[in-house]
Order: sequence, then C-alpha cells, then structure tokens
Amino acid sequence: MWKSVFYKEWLKIRWFIIGYTLLGILGIGYLFLALKHSFAFTGGKNVWNTVLFQGYQFYGLFKFVPLAGGLTIAVAQYLPETINKRLKLTFHLPLAGNRALLLMQAFGAGSLLVSFLIFFGLVAGFSLIYFPIQMVTDGVITILPWLLAGFAAYFMVALVVLEPNRIFRLCYSLVGGFFLTIYFTSAGTAAYAPANSGLFILTALLSIAFVFSAYRFRKGEM
Amino acid sequence: MEKISRYIMVFIAVITLTIFLPKLYWMAFEKPVRKPFIQYSCINNEFMIQRTSEKKWEDTKGKQYSREEYEQMLPMMFFKQLLASGTMPDSIKGTALEMRAISREKSFFRLKANEIDAPKPGLYPLFESRSGRAQLELPDDFFRITWRIEFIDAATNKIQEEKSQMFSAALFHKGFSFPTKTISGLPTPRKSCDEGYLILDSKDQLFHLKMIKDKPFVKKVDVPEGLKFRQISCVDFKNKDFYAYLFSDKNEIYILTQDDYQFIKWPIDEYDMSNCDLKIFGDLFNYMVIIEAEDHIKAIALTADYQLVEAFTEYWKTKEQLTEGKIFASLFPARLSMASENSKFIRFYFTPSKGFDWVFLNILLMAFHFIWLSRRKVRLKNHLADLGIVAVCGIYGLIAIHFFKNKFFD
Repeated sequence: MWKSVFYKEWLKIRWFIIGYTLLGILGIGYLFLALKHSFAFTGGKNVWNTVLFQGYQFYGLFKFVPLAGGLTIAVAQYLPETINKRLKLTFHLPLAGNRALLLMQAFGAGSLLVSFLIFFGLVAGFSLIYFPIQMVTDGVITILPWLLAGFAAYFMVALVVLEPNRIFRLCYSLVGGFFLTIYFTSAGTAAYAPANSGLFILTALLSIAFVFSAYRFRKGEM
Repeated sequence: MEKISRYIMVFIAVITLTIFLPKLYWMAFEKPVRKPFIQYSCINNEFMIQRTSEKKWEDTKGKQYSREEYEQMLPMMFFKQLLASGTMPDSIKGTALEMRAISREKSFFRLKANEIDAPKPGLYPLFESRSGRAQLELPDDFFRITWRIEFIDAATNKIQEEKSQMFSAALFHKGFSFPTKTISGLPTPRKSCDEGYLILDSKDQLFHLKMIKDKPFVKKVDVPEGLKFRQISCVDFKNKDFYAYLFSDKNEIYILTQDDYQFIKWPIDEYDMSNCDLKIFGDLFNYMVIIEAEDHIKAIALTADYQLVEAFTEYWKTKEQLTEGKIFASLFPARLSMASENSKFIRFYFTPSKGFDWVFLNILLMAFHFIWLSRRKVRLKNHLADLGIVAVCGIYGLIAIHFFKNKFFD
C-alpha cells in the first residue's frame, strides 16, 4: 500500500520537485560561476580575505531557496487534497490511523531531503575546490538553518492548508510566519553554530504537527 | 498522536510568542539611554562630561561650560578645533605641545563584549614584517594551526608543504604545544607595520609569531605563574609602546610592552568582559579607560605611565527598573531572543523576568481560562495540562492553547 501512496504523491509533486531541483542546481551553478570569476579577476587571496574578515558569503543568494522549495512542495502536495475535500478519500484507505498521512508527509519531506542533499553536496563539494575545510565548515554551519527552514516551511504549510477553519488557518499562519524568521536572524558566518542543534530538534518536532489539523479536517471541524 | 501534535504546536507557539511579544513590546515602549561622553581634562584635572542630547557640557561637580570652554579643557581631544580657532595652548604642565608628539601619543581602542564571544575565522594571513615596502601587501597564503601550522595558497587551495614544515619546526623547537586556544593579530594590510600574531597554545603558553624575510620569528613570552588570558587584542599605535591589550580570566587588563615583552597590569577593576564594552583613549598625558555596562558608565583616568589618577562612575536606571520594565515583568514571565548584545552567536537566549509579579497575571489568566472552560461545560480532566501551561507560561500559554484548540479531546 505504501508504494501506491508514494506513487500518488509522486504524480502530484513530480514536476514541481524536478523543476525546483533543476532551478536550484542552475542557481548553484551561477554562484560558482560568479565565484570563479571573482577568483580570476580579484585573486584568490582577496576573495579569501573578504570571506574570512569582511563577512562575505558567496552563497548568500541561496538563503531563501530552501524556504521556497518547502513552500512549493507543500502547496503542490496538500492544496489538491483540500479541493472538494479529497483528503477524506485517503482516510478510507486500508491503513491504520494516521499512517496514510504520515506516508504522504514522509514522501514530501523525503523528496525535499533528496533535493536539499543534492544542493548541499554541490555547494559543499564545489566549495572544497576553492576553500579549505575550515571555511567550508563555517559555510555549512551558516547554510544549515536555511535548509532546516525549508523543512519547517513544508511542515507549517501542511498544517495550515489542512486546517478546515479559516480563522485558525490565520492563527497557524501567524505562528508559522513568525516562527520561520528564527532561522533567518541576521548574523555573520558560522554564528548559528550554538543554535543549530536546537533548531534541528524543533524542526523534527514540527514534522508531525500537521496530524493535528488533519485530524480536525477528518472530523469535519468548521 | 493528535494530542502530541497539538502539544508540539502549543510548544512552538509558546516559543514564538516568547520571542516576538517582548520584542514588539520593547519596540513600542523602550526609551533610549543617552550615555554621557566622559573625558579627563589635563587642564583642570577634572572629568568633563558631554551630554549630547541635552547639549550640556559640565564637570563632575556640576559646573556648566560652553562648548568652546569644554573643548579648551580637553586640548588633546579637540586639538584640531583649538588650532583652527587659535586657542590651542603652547604648553601644558610645562610640556611643550608639539603636533608630532600629540599625534604620536594619541590612541583609541575599543572592545565590545560581542567581539569576544564571536565566531573566529580559523585562517589568518601572515604578513612579511620586513618587506621593505612602504605599504603592507596581503600574502598569497593563509595559515591555520591544527596539529601543526599549515600555510594554504589561496589561488590553488593547496598546502605549501615546505613553508608549513619550516614554521611548524620553529614553533615546535620553542616548545609550542599544538593546537591553539587563541590566535590574535591584526589580519589587515591597513596598518603601519606588521607585528605578526600573539598565539596562546593548548597549554596557555604565549608565543609571538612573525615572518621576517620569509623565515619564522618565534618568541616564547614568559607569562607570570597562574596568569591565564581569555582575550588578546593586538594594537597598532604610533608610539609603539606595547603590542597588545591582554585580558585575563579574572577580568584584569594587561599590556605587553614592545620588544622587551613585559606585562604591565593596569589598575582597573569592575570590568566584566562578558557584558561590558571597553574604550581606551590615550594621549600625551593620560590614558582614559571607559567601561560601559548596562546600568552604569565608569571612567578611569591613568597617567601616561599607567598609574591611577581618578575614577568616576555614573549610574542610570536600566529598562527593567523603569515603569515600562516593571509593567513588562508583570505581563511576561520571560523573554527569549535569538540574538544578544553581548555575543555575535545566535542562541536561544532565555531571560526570566525579574521578580515574580508575573505570577499574579498568570493566576488571573488561569482563572479566566478555568471560567471559560466551566461555561462550556467541558470535562476539566481533559484540560488540566492546558491550565498548567497557562500557569507556567502565562499570556504566551493562553494565546497558544487558544490558537491550537483542545476541542476534540472532551
């Protein structure tokens, strides 16, 4: 049965996730093209100097890419379920309790994870060509909350979209919108090092948040 | 699972509200603290205070000055203005005032608490200290210290093995214990000359590392027994009297004299580097140390040979002590922030409100929620956890449990 659920989800989000991943890869390609240009025209030592001592983050354009991905995939996956209350059909599948919903969420989050891992691998891998491991590690620490924000946005949108009551949808959106800003506090490179583990736990907790609004949806709360 | 997911969302909402409600409150009601600008006058041996917002210039005894009189009391600070207006004295205390000497002895140093608790770069450029050039040039490689010192060429991202081995051997022969605790220097070519880096090794031994004619210069500095440094800030002052300000783990301030590597302790106390900002002004006659804390400013005047002259402290009410702060402490049990004035790291900075005034509101909100539940004739047993959340988290908890309704568990 899980294969069928995954296939259904794949049909819904395939063009969105493929398109998003390809756009992301193109964006990362642009980042490293610009970096290569900087190395050629200003010299490696000057690029390193600006990265180390002037807070230059050559990957800064990547900041909201994971967030956009989380929002896109969540809308693509859950909005069709709310039209004509199609999600109710899911509850009639021969799967216990919330299993069908959790499988849907696992597929969406898994797709995002694959996409993010490709981005992460490309950014870290190409960075190692130009920078030593210390600088790449600092970059990874900086990027990590942005990636977590992508997942948090995905989980939050699922919670909001599945909520049947408009007023509560607004309440959840307010909480979600403000909460997401904690991943984007203005800070220098590697400043998030002490916060990343806490953000990881909060993001992991959020992964089952949508069960609550799905439950209300199932019960027909208006 | 529905219950768990609801409590997770209540928890997330409480965190969000604990961050943003206090932030919005202080955006609406916080009043700026106008800190006075304090300098020590070498003319009348008094602390001179400038209150910019009130356009007042006075001394510690309350005597008022015009702006011109104030500037004349501080000729080392305003010498350009006094020269322009023709009121610069020829000599002070028998010392003839020569522009070169004034300029040579003038210095300024600032250390903020958030510069100490901050991410460190991990790689540094080692300049050629005797290049023979008028201006310093950024080297092609940067060094890191792990189990040895390694120089990495920035153009190729490759380790320069020969140079790395030469410098590692020089450090090793001087008794350097890899890796390091801190590497302190001025990693910029915009300085008058290069004096390399002061490095604390893993055993708190202090080393001075420079590169002279492509060769390592390593000097082990004898640190007095029991003295451990937490922060070293190198300086590039024209008088070349000392290499750096050094701050011990007991918040003492030392300087390390140039060439003879002597530690001189300054007679400064009440400086807590974890939450105070420090400014040090130097001139021909005095050093002026300014310690800025949340609720006070302390000005300490030293002679040019670092002896204590006089100190002056001015206190003000913190925002917590003002009416708006007391109202805040009655409304909110705590605040959470991702950033801090005393650190450049992002953390979950949790600050409980002072006192227990918020308990009253929490109980009131809990009673309100209890009545609200009673009127709806719900089974109270299913709402005990919510009542507990309101009792502990107050207004944050009340909003959170009403945003994520406990409706289906009756």
